[in-house]
Amino acid sequence: MRDVIRKRRLKPKPVAWTAGGDSPRRSRSESVARRPMGKGGLSVSILGLGGYHLGSAKDDREAGAIVSRALEAGINFFDNAWEYHRGQSEERLGRALRGRREDVILMTKVCTHGRDKKTALRMLEQSLRRLRTDHLDVWQVHEVIYDNDPDLIFSKNGVAEALLAAKKAGKVRFVGFTGHKDPDLHLRMLSQGFPFDTVQMPLNCFDATFRSFEQNVLPRANQLGLAVFGMKSLGGSGEMVREGAITAEEGLRYAMSLPVATTISGMESLDVLEQNLAIVANFKALSPSEMESLRARCKPIAADGRVELFKSTVKYDGDLGRKQHHYPSSKELPV
Amino acid sequence: MTSPGNIPTRPFGKHSGVRVSALGFGGHHLGDAADEETAIRLVRRAVEAGVTFFDNCWEYHRGKSEIWMGKGLKGRRSDVFLMTKACSHGREGALALRMLEESLRRLQTDHLDLWQIHGVSFDNDPELFMRKGGAAEALLAAKKSGKARFIGFTGHKNPKVHLAMLETGFPFDSVQMPLNAFDASYRSFADAVLPELNRQGIAVLGMKPINGHGDAVKDGILTAEESLRYAMSLPVTTTITGIESFSVLEQNLRVAQGFIPMEPDRMQALRDRLKPQAGDGRYELYKVSLKFDNPEARWAHGFPIDSQQGEVKEMLRETDNSGHPFPGR
Repeated sequence: MRDVIRKRRLKPKPVAWTAGGDSPRRSRSESVARRPMGKGGLSVSILGLGGYHLGSAKDDREAGAIVSRALEAGINFFDNAWEYHRGQSEERLGRALRGRREDVILMTKVCTHGRDKKTALRMLEQSLRRLRTDHLDVWQVHEVIYDNDPDLIFSKNGVAEALLAAKKAGKVRFVGFTGHKDPDLHLRMLSQGFPFDTVQMPLNCFDATFRSFEQNVLPRANQLGLAVFGMKSLGGSGEMVREGAITAEEGLRYAMSLPVATTISGMESLDVLEQNLAIVANFKALSPSEMESLRARCKPIAADGRVELFKSTVKYDGDLGRKQHHYPSSKELPV
Repeated sequence: MTSPGNIPTRPFGKHSGVRVSALGFGGHHLGDAADEETAIRLVRRAVEAGVTFFDNCWEYHRGKSEIWMGKGLKGRRSDVFLMTKACSHGREGALALRMLEESLRRLQTDHLDLWQIHGVSFDNDPELFMRKGGAAEALLAAKKSGKARFIGFTGHKNPKVHLAMLETGFPFDSVQMPLNAFDASYRSFADAVLPELNRQGIAVLGMKPINGHGDAVKDGILTAEESLRYAMSLPVTTTITGIESFSVLEQNLRVAQGFIPMEPDRMQALRDRLKPQAGDGRYELYKVSLKFDNPEARWAHGFPIDSQQGEVKEMLRETDNSGHPFPGR
């Protein structure tokens, strides 16, 4: 199947120096380190740009500047989802990547939430149009968080068939799934014998003591040779830092020290991006004992899930998925 | 009209000399009754009809539920099996014992038949319960002093947390949990916890027979009678259901008086019928959402509380506990 996929090289392009920028910039020689992305032969930056927050940036201009600066610094992984900000996240990214499509690993997610293959393929066409491209590097099933999602995904005419069809048609190179809720659900997805290439999950220094993806899913994903995308390194919206439990640097460094391909981080402003770039530029993996002591320090407030609200509450569950599963909306049931 | 049958009584777990009515009167909804007089009449009518099991909790309506039940049971205390719950939520045992004294005063009695730890729902609750100075010590002390005949715990969230509580080896006399026809297909207490309790002779107190707020009934998925009959047909000691009005009380009595259990194949058919709507938990949001965890618990565990929620407003107006979450910050 893979031989029908268009062969293409990800070659680093010389970065144009943008003059007149008044935000402090480090040396142009900086570059975010890269790692192999699973078994697919691609090389991915250890920091990925989260698509949701791109839609939260104050305007199109800021979003464009974030993407340019990320590219300039060597970030080549761009995350998105069909449902983020009703398409605005994809549109902003599509515009910002014009002329640079070949330099990046582009991912978006399909948001069927239990609906059928046809709906999925319609969403794919829409995502491609918004992202101004004819193919994705990674296409993932979004938000596998409801207990019956695996049944629905693998039912006849379900979204799993759409993943295969899209791959066969050359519209996507790699397929996977994501979810922020429950390690058991991830394991059920991985036990179906489906040829997933990638998997995305929350990974942070609090996770280890509460419904842990790091302990339960990461080793299995590594064993299967999947490319692992970590997310929610600071709690989803910085809860862990706001609690005063860790610094952003500790949180991000911990997540990036795990055996993952990349860590996706939401950056809705140039300031946040610069903060992350500063951490990543000097990135040195934590030693196992440093990781252990960070986990131990976080444990007292980690064990009941109060800073991982995406696992312990419905706060991070999107409205589209709630609607498909007949749950109250985020207005009616905020947490 | 033919006279209705009696409400059956069942043994309280391995304490077979103690029997309670198969229908239990839920205390939370009593605080939602139109007024105090209605609440008192509801309790009296239930006692007359043969309900002997009365449920309550220190934090329900910040004491109103206990006070109204105490008034309703005046003169009938020895005819009933009275339960209430402590709301320490991981905090110290001394706090639980202060709550016990308050509950006894509100309920106008010198002892409880059953005292339970309320709302065990967070993953680290078993650890906090058993820690030195924790609520486990308070339960034992209350039993020793005769202020509580039996002790147990309750929670509506996660069968794994219930099992972790049982694994502590603490001598629980009873365990309360949601049991209904939807539970069978979603994070099932009936599958994971009920058989273990039956095996150990721990009294099982079913709750949420109509899914807590009756949404499935409102949506026409099943009837209230079907729902209650299913729950009462499981191997439980009693099924606690919320009663805030005479129409609800009479509806429940119609099922409970002269109760006929549902046949196993009809129970299976009902589970099968509900499976498509049950599989993602949409009708069991107490297993999913923080909303159904009392603010006292959320507060103690450092979770956000919703200032618009009625219970939070009640709590903030007249909070009379330490108010400090554990561990302190």
